[in-house]
Amino acid sequence: MGNKQTIFTDEQLDAYQDCTFFTRKEILRLHSRYHELAPHLVPMDYTNEPDCKLPLALIVDMPELKENPFRNRIVESFSEDGMGNLSFNEFVDMFSVLSEMAPRELKAIYAFKIYDFNVDNYLCKEDLEKTLNRLTKEELTPEEVELVCEKTIEEADLDGDNKLSYADFENMISRAPDFLSTFHIRI
Amino acid sequence: MACACLVVYCVTEEQDLVKELVALSITEQIKKIRELPRSFEEKKHISVKSAKQTLELWHSTMKEIGGKFGSSVLNYFVLLKWLLMFNIFSFLINFGFITIPLLIYDHSPNTPANMTFRGLELLTGAGYFNYTIMYYGSYSNETVDGLVNYDMKLAYFFTISVYMVFCGIVLIFSMASSFKKNYAMADPSSNSAWQLLHSWDFSITNENAVNHHLKSNILRCVISVIFVILLLLQESLAEKAHIEQKTLPEKLQQYGIYLGSWLLSTGLAVACGVSIFYLCKYEDKTLLVPFVVSLMNMVVPLLFSLFNKFEHYSSQSKQIYALLFRNVLLRISILGVLCYHWMNVVPLKFTCWEPMVGQALYRLVIVDFIFLMLGSFFGEFLSNVIGTKIQPRLGVPEFDVARNILEIIYAQTLAWIGIYFSPLLPVIQILKFFILFFIKKVSLTQNCQPPRRSGRAAQMKTIIIFLLFFPFFMGALSIVAYTSWSLTPSEGCGPFRGLNRTFGVIEGWIDDVDKNFPGSKWAVWIYDNVIKSELFFFLITLIILVIIYIFWQLAEGRKELIILLREQIVNVDVKPDLKKKRKAGYEIYYPLLLEHSKRIENGILHLSLFKKNIGRV
Repeated sequence: MGNKQTIFTDEQLDAYQDCTFFTRKEILRLHSRYHELAPHLVPMDYTNEPDCKLPLALIVDMPELKENPFRNRIVESFSEDGMGNLSFNEFVDMFSVLSEMAPRELKAIYAFKIYDFNVDNYLCKEDLEKTLNRLTKEELTPEEVELVCEKTIEEADLDGDNKLSYADFENMISRAPDFLSTFHIRI
Repeated sequence: MACACLVVYCVTEEQDLVKELVALSITEQIKKIRELPRSFEEKKHISVKSAKQTLELWHSTMKEIGGKFGSSVLNYFVLLKWLLMFNIFSFLINFGFITIPLLIYDHSPNTPANMTFRGLELLTGAGYFNYTIMYYGSYSNETVDGLVNYDMKLAYFFTISVYMVFCGIVLIFSMASSFKKNYAMADPSSNSAWQLLHSWDFSITNENAVNHHLKSNILRCVISVIFVILLLLQESLAEKAHIEQKTLPEKLQQYGIYLGSWLLSTGLAVACGVSIFYLCKYEDKTLLVPFVVSLMNMVVPLLFSLFNKFEHYSSQSKQIYALLFRNVLLRISILGVLCYHWMNVVPLKFTCWEPMVGQALYRLVIVDFIFLMLGSFFGEFLSNVIGTKIQPRLGVPEFDVARNILEIIYAQTLAWIGIYFSPLLPVIQILKFFILFFIKKVSLTQNCQPPRRSGRAAQMKTIIIFLLFFPFFMGALSIVAYTSWSLTPSEGCGPFRGLNRTFGVIEGWIDDVDKNFPGSKWAVWIYDNVIKSELFFFLITLIILVIIYIFWQLAEGRKELIILLREQIVNVDVKPDLKKKRKAGYEIYYPLLLEHSKRIENGILHLSLFKKNIGRV
């Protein structure tokens, strides 16, 4: 609304506003957070779209993500190279999907990607076991973990292939809407 | 080769997506782009492409406003643009079918001597303007013999009727589609009481909080397998939260306040109407009546908002509806009194009375425009100055969407009433709305902040269209219908001079058709026995009522079917023994979960209890 900032051009801010769930102020705030992570790497002037990516290790150190058991998987699923190196656009994308304004369908798509550890587009028993282990921080015995995963697959698998496709996952999610309120990171 | 195929596939998929986006409205476009599960660069590319292909008027401005201020503010500008389109269409058909033939026939306005154009006519609409093509009075009732026998009075009648019917149809269709989208398809379980349960987010950095959070996640993991229990839980929690205990004296006091403010508001609206009635005798000479009308329309809604602050309605939407109803009542009563005056008093006072009504409406439109601009100045600019510099506690004002929307609906109603009496009134309306768009846009961006509460914009849109249609459009339509059906057109001027009533033009035409086209006896027969007979309309009404009843029952039946199907999805029989297991699970888990949920709320969760129960299902 009239304040002179030189980080982005007006067109860039308009594009961010159109394509993400953030307002101009929030985009500028996100940029300052991104810059804080590596002040010597991240330029202050984004008008000519510099090609700057921050490594996984720096991003998962953010206080919002530090205590999250899935922080690595989250960052990896939003990075283009799959290794967790995020450019600023991917950074904004990540927090846009995780914000409270993103609809459930969009969050479900990314939740599936995050839980899919071996990136084969299915949640097999190993994926679920890893998920449960991270959630419970190894407090359950391996037999209990296996039991819960078996029960989950039994319950949710509709096409009988012993692994959950995206359709099965979405079906499960739609009947327990609270499951996705865990997919909310406020920044 | 495969890569090339993949690239081609991606490109065509993107083209399909862009085509789909271009067909949507602006609000839907923005929403759809944000929800695409693609990376930012791809979304930017798609949005730029779709923006280039959309050829709407003011498309980029509206996108900017929608992005910065949200979709409820955008609704105002979309409505403004929509009404502007109505007026442009009206101007085109009126100018094309009514004014141009008149100009060809006789292009010199028959003004009396010493009546020259003074600037004042722009404001009062009288004087020199009275004798121009602006008003009904200058239109001729002759038939132009050119390439075709162009009967000007028939053209006048049909053009006005076609326009009103067109507006009615467009409004009905958009109302129906709006209802369908926002009420019929709404899923009642989606806006549920999940807000009661905490939104567990990951913005936790405290160690203890993290452990508690993780432990609750274990429970949720298993809960996702036994979903119905949660739904039951949600309902019982929601019921408990919403029971309000009120004692009898408090209830009486509440009802007393409601009654008092409703009486006051209705009384105010009626008082305004009565005062306009008494002021009407000064209507044709001065600008007093339009000035008082606009002043009332500006001040009395503020009083209504004041009353609204003292009442406490049980829900936000009831409060808004009450305020809206009162404002509508005020405007309808003022317009009603004015129309009564125009229909009953003015025809007896003047020989050439239709242009007088046209002038009165012209003055109302102009003064309304001036007041709208002033209102923008006082309402938004001054509030901003006061809010930021003088009294910082008040803060930057919000854009009052409901009030602004009602103002433009009222302005359009004046144009709809006036179109019969002044065929070129849409010109003034087009200029008015065009200038208003830019004034409001500048005022919005400079003075206002985005609304804090993102109101339910989609339902608001339905209500806006409903409001537009029912009191205002139907009112305008009935005034025009009453004028053409019952009132005697003036003797000395206008296209219907000499006839007993305007509708007589149709009767004359039918007679002509009978004389000139001997083969069309059937058309004449239809007119005489079907359209003119009351029995026909009675039967049609009865048939339509029966059809409505059948469709209504059909809709009810479908609603029940949806509920049944939902229940069936819940009980879907994938593996027969699983159902038994589930049932056992419910009986064991439901009471446990009630316990657990209370403990989650209090932050204590015993993992051991959970472990004990894992084996039971």
